[in-house]
Amino acid sequence: MKKKGLLVLGVIAGGAVAGTLAVAKEKLPEHLRELLELGMHPGHVFVDEGRDYYHNLKGPNGKTCATCHGQDGAKLVGAYAKMPRYYKDIDAVADIDLRIYKCMTKYMGFDPKDKKFKKKYLKTYRVPLATYVASLSNGMKIDVKIQHPKEKEMYELGKKVWFTRAGAREFSCAMCHMVLAGRRIRLQGLPNPVKAKSYNHWPAYRFGSDKMWTMEDRVRTCFRAYFLFLNKWDEKKDWVKTPPFFAKEVIAVELYMKHASNGGVIEVPGLVR
Amino acid sequence: MKKIALAGAIVGLGLLVACQPAAQKAEAQKPKKKLTAYEKFRIAFYQNQDKWQRYCSNEAQVVPKGISVEEFKKAMLATIKFPPGGKVMGDWKRGEKLFGDPKKGGRSRRGNCYACHCGDPQIIACGNIGPSLRGYGKKGVDPKQTYMRIYNSWAFVPCSAMPRLGYWGVLKPEEIADIVAFLHSPESPINK
Repeated sequence: MKKKGLLVLGVIAGGAVAGTLAVAKEKLPEHLRELLELGMHPGHVFVDEGRDYYHNLKGPNGKTCATCHGQDGAKLVGAYAKMPRYYKDIDAVADIDLRIYKCMTKYMGFDPKDKKFKKKYLKTYRVPLATYVASLSNGMKIDVKIQHPKEKEMYELGKKVWFTRAGAREFSCAMCHMVLAGRRIRLQGLPNPVKAKSYNHWPAYRFGSDKMWTMEDRVRTCFRAYFLFLNKWDEKKDWVKTPPFFAKEVIAVELYMKHASNGGVIEVPGLVR
Repeated sequence: MKKIALAGAIVGLGLLVACQPAAQKAEAQKPKKKLTAYEKFRIAFYQNQDKWQRYCSNEAQVVPKGISVEEFKKAMLATIKFPPGGKVMGDWKRGEKLFGDPKKGGRSRRGNCYACHCGDPQIIACGNIGPSLRGYGKKGVDPKQTYMRIYNSWAFVPCSAMPRLGYWGVLKPEEIADIVAFLHSPESPINK
């Protein structure tokens, strides 16, 4: 009975994955479509790199990710479907980028005060590891819960940030991705990530800029377009381009969007323009 | 007991600050420590949000109930400054570059008008968020109105998606006048 149920689930999940791929394929350039058909998704390079770090990158105390989470991420299957969420050990709501950093500094012996390590993590380890861990939840449904008081607080903050108009361009997440969704900025269509449950294909490989991005990269970079400033807007002298990594507001928006994507089937790495 | 002491300290500090406005000012100009990236973001995102943006920060992204649209427009109109001599039409060739340099495929970070509007029919990479501006000069709009709309769009449509480009200083009054010339001049490719 259980097996039968699993099989049915598998078929449904498979169908949904094929469905999303079919939609995604239509918008892809020919050469990328060919790569996909050959099973050569550019994002898979990052999954492989992440798998390598997961098993072989040793912390100063000799531990690897696999020491605690098992061979091939056995204990992390489904973890990404529930992120961002509250973690008792760090007493905070964390997204995947922050969770992995905290694991490395808390349990693998890396020094949280070591700025060089933080830089190395952000630039080198973060994206492959996040992509690999996220891919362990492929085929599963997004299931973000808002239960802990800190999760509730972050959800409310995320909602507030989503609607906040700020900066010299009067932007808000909602303006472009809700009110104007469906229209075009130049030739780029504006999606509604909340309605479309499109969180399911992040982290995603962006073929336009040849980069693999986590949702934290995506949200942080959106803020560039706001034209935020400290004293008086000046493109050269006063432009607060992005919030820093792990900023509360960014994780809050991720929580708000991913909660809205509950039920969406995870298919990582995604492929976006 | 502690609370009283704290309240006393706050009142004391308040008096001190009130009595020494000059000293306070000097201190504000010289921040003691460098701001962290997160502190900078918080100031830019929360503190620098103006009252009008706060009004528009709701689920519908429009002027909320209880705020008069007419008062809103009036306040926005009052912010509009004109270039020296009140000349609202400048050099259309400079305006073309600000609108979106054709040599860069219509891109420019200053005006970046093509992101939302179509203009020169030669530039096809244009957005459809705002109305098309092809042939704008033939529509009989007063150039002064055009200038005011670019300087502070919220004086006409409060909370609209169009940034208040002059209000925040993204464009200088003279630059807006150049864009107005690009929109209205019969020689401009917009009107050809």
